[in-house]
Amino acid sequence: MAQGIRAYFGHITDVVTTFWEGLSVTLSYMLRRPITVQYPDRVEKRVADTLPPRYRGILEVDTAVCTGCMACERACPIGVIKISTDKDPGNPKQRVITQFDIDVGKCMFCGLCVEPCPTGAIAHTREFEATRKHVDSLVFRWVPDPAKPVPFYRPVKGQDAPRAPVGEILRRCLAAASWIERPSFLPEERKP
Amino acid sequence: MAIDMKIERQILRRTETSDEEIVVNFGPQHPSTHGVINFVTQTTGEIIRRSVPEVGYLHRGLEKIGEMVTYPGYMPFTDRIDYVAAMFANEGYALAVERLLGIEAPPRAQYLRAIAGELCRISSHFIAVGTMATDIGAATPLTHGLRERESVNDLIEELCGARLTFNYHRIGGVSFDAPAGWSDKVLRFLDHLDSYIQEWDRLISFNQIYVDRLANVGVITREQAVDYGLVGPNLRGSGVQWDIRRDLSYGAYPDFAFDIPVGTGRFGTVGDCWDRYYVRVQEMLESSKIIRQALAKLPEGEIMAKVARKPKPDAGEAVGRVESARGEMLYYVVSDGSEKAYRLRVRTGSFLAMGIIEELSRGIMVADLIAIIASLDIVAPEIDR
Repeated sequence: MAQGIRAYFGHITDVVTTFWEGLSVTLSYMLRRPITVQYPDRVEKRVADTLPPRYRGILEVDTAVCTGCMACERACPIGVIKISTDKDPGNPKQRVITQFDIDVGKCMFCGLCVEPCPTGAIAHTREFEATRKHVDSLVFRWVPDPAKPVPFYRPVKGQDAPRAPVGEILRRCLAAASWIERPSFLPEERKP
Repeated sequence: MAIDMKIERQILRRTETSDEEIVVNFGPQHPSTHGVINFVTQTTGEIIRRSVPEVGYLHRGLEKIGEMVTYPGYMPFTDRIDYVAAMFANEGYALAVERLLGIEAPPRAQYLRAIAGELCRISSHFIAVGTMATDIGAATPLTHGLRERESVNDLIEELCGARLTFNYHRIGGVSFDAPAGWSDKVLRFLDHLDSYIQEWDRLISFNQIYVDRLANVGVITREQAVDYGLVGPNLRGSGVQWDIRRDLSYGAYPDFAFDIPVGTGRFGTVGDCWDRYYVRVQEMLESSKIIRQALAKLPEGEIMAKVARKPKPDAGEAVGRVESARGEMLYYVVSDGSEKAYRLRVRTGSFLAMGIIEELSRGIMVADLIAIIASLDIVAPEIDR
């Protein structure tokens, strides 16, 4: 009987001591610096600028250095990239890109398209905030007007392609687009 | 309205007092099922007669997708098989296809794979032990575990550019070399981790209430664990020293010295929920040991072997087995000589753990079922692929 009582109260003592031990750890966090960040409005720097350079954010294409080799289109396992090329009507020797669409709504940010690119024209930026009201607005058209196609870039031997700094073109693109923009191929929204 | 309430109360009283058996759908949206999975549970009051997991709720046809995309193109899909520890899913697939092609990753790539994998194991185990504590009723440890996981994610993000779906491995190597100064950051984290585990033990592991809830609950004996084909920490929790990293070694693992923690029955019986929990805590320290050795010995050289952009392996079959955070992960790839796999099969640890739940659930309390599910560390998408 006495042993039973001792075991009973010993157990309660164990519970209380280990409980306090755990609580003391929790309480010590009152005195430590918090590591949480108040995203999005109370951050010191734009979060996109604090990310590591390898971060795989929204894809960006610098069509000025695109060779039109379509390696990225072939590498994509889910067909996110759509490229069309044509002959330049004015100069039959020159080929041009008439369409370079990337559906970011479908993209899984795996980075397989970036690897085969010979000039670094297609690259992941550190941007990740591109909220749109319609998922179809997430199709980024890097050749905006098919009537104004972009000629293929011919790499010069021993020289790096003059690629614009990664992220600049996309930031300009994002700033220009409004988030409620409706894709042109959808019917007009009915007014209530 | 008043009358309705009266009937309700009568029904309630009848089910409370009688031995009537009711079938409860535990899940698929229950937070302690760790994903979308349904346990059809026959109960009498608080006592469970039988609980059967309904496997297949999250089936996404990932094995079929493997037959539809090229060999390198399937790599991002492997991330989605087990998103909590995607590095191992990558590695298993890369190993299988490398064997099919008859190539081997360069030594530096193998070391980087081991480092990235062990970092991923630490982050996955933090989720496992944190959610287990939450399921038992202690809410704080999960936030601590997630914080540590975030530090690991920061390191992996710097290495490969993603925090969850890494897609780091390539057939014949890895996609990126370690960036400058990265190994110092990893070592700093490991120093923090080694001391942090002690704090973690003080916070929850040896908490008497927590121990009482887990000790002698859901005991899986050595024989049962082997018979049901359990793998990984669930198997080692029952006292079986089996680890693919040591027993069927692959990659850089033969070069490292590390222990394999097993369940000892410290507070109850060997193979109870607490043993499986503590095996995971100890494995984090072992992972830390492996990463330190790998960083010290990291060889110079290439990170990619020579592989065609769209490899076409000769007709044949290959198996890649890795020790994932949830136990053995096996990839079986059959090639017919084209650039797409003829058949791809994945065998995962969570799926194997599903088999034993029906056996364990006979005659236990409802609250213990939650402890058992948590201690088996299941990730629902891994069960169904």
